[in-house]
Amino acid sequence: MSLVLENISAYFGDKRIFEKLSLTIEPGEIITVMGASGSGKTTLLSAVAGDMPNPLYSVGKVILNGRDVSIMRPELRRIGRLFQDDLLFPHLTVGENLLFGVERGLKAERMAMMKTALQRLELEGFEDRPPHTLSGGQRSRVALMRALLAKPDAMLLDEPFSKLDHELRATIRDYTYTHLRERKIPTLLVTHDFEDVPKGGRVIHV
Amino acid sequence: MVNRRSLLCFAAVAPFLPCMAFAADWSTVESEAKGQEVYFNAWAGADNINAYIAWAGVQVKARYGVTLNHVKITDTAEVVKRVRDEVKAGKAEGSVDLIWINGENFRVMKTEKLLFGPFAETLPNFAFVDIQGKPTTLQDFTESVDGLESPWGMAQFTFFGDGTKISSPPKSMVELAAFAKANPGRVTYPAPPDFHGTTFLKQALIEATSDRSIFAHPIEKDAFAVAAKPWLAFLDDIRPSLWREGKQYPKSQAEVTQMVADGEVLMGLTFNPNEPANLVASGTLPKTTIAWQHAAGTIGNSHFVGIPSNARAKAGAQVVANFLLSAEAQARKNDLKIWGDPTVLDMTKLSEDDAKLFASLPTPGSVTFPAPAILEPHGSFVPLIESTWLDHYGKG
Amino acid sequence: MIATIKKTAMSAPLVLLFVIPLIASLAFALSGTLDAKNWQSLFAHPQLWPALELSIFTGLTSVAVSLLLALFLIAGLYHSPWWPRLSAQVGAMLAVPHVAMAIGLSFLIMPSGILARILAVLTSWTTPPHWITNHDPYGLSLIAALVLKETPFLMWALISILNREDVSHSFFGQRAVGLSLGHGQTSIWLRIYLPQLLPKLVWPLLAVFVYAATVVDMAIVIGPTQPPTLAVVVWADINDAQVLNNARGAVGAWFLTLVIALTAVFFWTTIKLILSKREWLTWPPASKDLLRPSGTFSKAKIFTLGFFYIVIAITQVILSLAPLWPFPKLWPDTLNLIAWARVWDNPSALITSLAVGFSTTVTALLLVVGWMETQPPSRDRFVTVLSATALGVPALLLALGQYRAFLQLGLTGTAFGLFLAHLIPVTAYMFLVLVGPYRSFDPRWWASASGLLTSLPRFFWTIKLPLLKAPVLAASAIGFAVSFGQYVPAQLITAGRYSTLPMEAVTLTSGTNRPLTAAFTLMLMAPPLLAFIAAAFLSKSRWSSK
Repeated sequence: MSLVLENISAYFGDKRIFEKLSLTIEPGEIITVMGASGSGKTTLLSAVAGDMPNPLYSVGKVILNGRDVSIMRPELRRIGRLFQDDLLFPHLTVGENLLFGVERGLKAERMAMMKTALQRLELEGFEDRPPHTLSGGQRSRVALMRALLAKPDAMLLDEPFSKLDHELRATIRDYTYTHLRERKIPTLLVTHDFEDVPKGGRVIHV
Repeated sequence: MVNRRSLLCFAAVAPFLPCMAFAADWSTVESEAKGQEVYFNAWAGADNINAYIAWAGVQVKARYGVTLNHVKITDTAEVVKRVRDEVKAGKAEGSVDLIWINGENFRVMKTEKLLFGPFAETLPNFAFVDIQGKPTTLQDFTESVDGLESPWGMAQFTFFGDGTKISSPPKSMVELAAFAKANPGRVTYPAPPDFHGTTFLKQALIEATSDRSIFAHPIEKDAFAVAAKPWLAFLDDIRPSLWREGKQYPKSQAEVTQMVADGEVLMGLTFNPNEPANLVASGTLPKTTIAWQHAAGTIGNSHFVGIPSNARAKAGAQVVANFLLSAEAQARKNDLKIWGDPTVLDMTKLSEDDAKLFASLPTPGSVTFPAPAILEPHGSFVPLIESTWLDHYGKG
Repeated sequence: MIATIKKTAMSAPLVLLFVIPLIASLAFALSGTLDAKNWQSLFAHPQLWPALELSIFTGLTSVAVSLLLALFLIAGLYHSPWWPRLSAQVGAMLAVPHVAMAIGLSFLIMPSGILARILAVLTSWTTPPHWITNHDPYGLSLIAALVLKETPFLMWALISILNREDVSHSFFGQRAVGLSLGHGQTSIWLRIYLPQLLPKLVWPLLAVFVYAATVVDMAIVIGPTQPPTLAVVVWADINDAQVLNNARGAVGAWFLTLVIALTAVFFWTTIKLILSKREWLTWPPASKDLLRPSGTFSKAKIFTLGFFYIVIAITQVILSLAPLWPFPKLWPDTLNLIAWARVWDNPSALITSLAVGFSTTVTALLLVVGWMETQPPSRDRFVTVLSATALGVPALLLALGQYRAFLQLGLTGTAFGLFLAHLIPVTAYMFLVLVGPYRSFDPRWWASASGLLTSLPRFFWTIKLPLLKAPVLAASAIGFAVSFGQYVPAQLITAGRYSTLPMEAVTLTSGTNRPLTAAFTLMLMAPPLLAFIAAAFLSKSRWSSK
């Protein structure tokens, strides 16, 4: 599994944000994108996800496992995302949030996947709880697990640790990176905190 | 002053002649009326009528200093209800000074003592009313008028349609049924309690009944149910041939008229024999319009103006009622170009000059062979006709 | 202590002019309802049950169709560049009074209307077809007219929810998450947005349902006739000459209210039950996104909706100039200004409506802003509930109580009575529209400004009001439009002394003067529309001129 970006450029109307960015992310690799605010870090992630808010637009190719996904609609690209906010759906329970991205299959299988995920999160019994009753750390982990259960071919992380307090931050970070590497998911991380950069990981400045 | 006079009249009861002795008091009424505002509650569904009332307003303002405000209403029953509610609430000075009324509404107001008077026969111009030739000026739907309302105009049930589409108009209800069957979906009548719809049903009831003496007296529910059988048979018979198969009915006579103008139905109906001619003159109906009445006669009546017992401007209202009875006002109302509402006056009682005002030539749309007028059935028939009809045809 | 009393005293205007008349009206509406005789005569009414069925059918169908249409339209345009423009277009449609819509639609679809005339050209009809379009027995034409009016209203309600900063922010993120989890637009709307939006739509939906199921004026103009809807049956009873029928009408109004309330509760419970069967919420992402909301499709539908409004307005203009327009003709024989000349000669209804509209809107604005400025937010709930009640109770019932109360006070037929009768719904609407934006006004503005400015009044005029300009203007435009749509209270309270535009228009629809009817319909449409345009124009901020 690899994520390849070929000559990605992004524009705001006729204004250029960044131009001709090319990059190959190997399976399980986490590449960090750094830059001042307004430099287009988030825009890059949106370009890869295929979800550019109007009037932003991008050109260039996104190749995931050898298939060109840049012509696909975002929901078909199999690219997972994590944001600053955990963005758990407030009208769904924890269990339902986890099930939301689980592929089609037998109901029992899907439920089993959700239950296993809860175990791994050490959140057994939280299945029917509404998200707002969880702690910040728990919510972040649920959000990560929700993204992983959709079996993404690549991940985009948009400052996912920035709202967590200092101690929690390191734990969640390690937890996240471990899971991503375990599943060999190529990952693009946006942050402006050097501590987020995984050891020995590549860093790109825009 | 007015109150004392009316008390005296009341004491004298009928006959009304003793009241005439107080005719000298009329000048008192006129002087009291000066500066008063009269709220005239009158049906306002037709433009020519509104324009006529506006003209009358200008006249009474100039001549008697009375301000006439036309309160435009769609249903006189609403006004009856309002007066009753106001009287019940103890509102001594009500919102209605003069009301255009007859029939059932009059009966209700008379029975509930919501009317001021008697005053009608003390109006100076009442002397010219054709009480012999037009007995309905004293007998409103079998209810004795007793001077509680002043006659204003005459009405007789009349049908009309486009002469190019109707070769021989139906001259009875039986013929009308045949006509409807020959022209399915092109005949209708307004749903009661629209006044014209109810009248259509009364006309049908009268024509379907062999013993017409029953219409002169009050009737009970059970007796009506028996008497109504041939009538319901007729209505059932005609129903499938009616517009929208008799499942829906227009709300008002004016709606039917509009449908005649649009060609959606073939014949309309009216209480004013001159209305078709008037609508031809105003361009609403084509010049080929014809009007007819049933050969054996159609229901005729008079319409009146009354003064509610809690009216604020009783003197002003009487002045207006008197003006509406004047030869000038009646002739103008009679004029097809203005309104075309037949007069209540007796031409022989008028001066030669005044009588001349009424002369007019035959116009397209007038009734060519006037039929005799049939008296309205007793008022107690109306609620029974309406509820029976609703029960049979009001549920879709 | 004294300060509290003083503050409470400042609520007096709103309490005197809105709260007390409203409560009194509701109380007076109750009288006579305990008399079993009246209920017996109601249940003996041959039209009661079929008419009730019609009321519920037209109410439910129009709400369901309007909601679906509104959601489809909104779904296609949310997050699109069209979005900011949408609210202005919806506002314009919102401004057209309901009864004007019914009159206009009627002439479009009736057997001798525009549609039949166009078809007549193709089929060479010479007489109008036997269509059962207007006044159809199932109330479908009434439903169509209601849908044309309620869709923009529900869109407006949805837009104002979706435009709230907290909602738009969290939806934006949740959408990105949904996409990244493999869910398409349809799925996101159905499973993410809708379950969160529906609870916020309870009041608008209820208001629409109650309105649709109990409307009198529209049902008279375009609804079924034999039987009509129950509201029309009740209305006829209330206005009848027979005392017994008046009493039957009063209990009929209560009966209608109760049944409508029960129906609303029943359906809301059903919807909740369906939503609580939560499994469908977590169905796996579909491989194909069926019924994908499409911007082009939505735009096409917005145009269709707007097109109806425009065609209706144009038809009314032509009608107002055409004294004679016999059936198969597409264009009238002659055009003249007679109808307009008549309006010009006797403009009293227009003047009354304008006067009532302006005076009630200004008064209601003063009352509401005065309340917000002097009363603590904790007291809002009381007024909010009252306002919702004023709009949630059928106008028929409220107006009946109002009529009885005003009769006792001698207010029927007076200018003040007319003013007060209109002020209640206008204030209720404006309060509900303004309470949100006003209370969420960021208090930090005052904190940061208090160092620079000295007085509270100055702060109010120079900072707060300009910042709240858009919602205040929008609320005023709505208030003005609401006052133009009041038929039932006006008809009962004026005792015929005053005539307003909706009264004239409804009266005229039963007559033969089509040009005059059209002229009044146009006069009914134009001022609220102008008010909306003015509000939209004035509330443009200094920076959005590009």
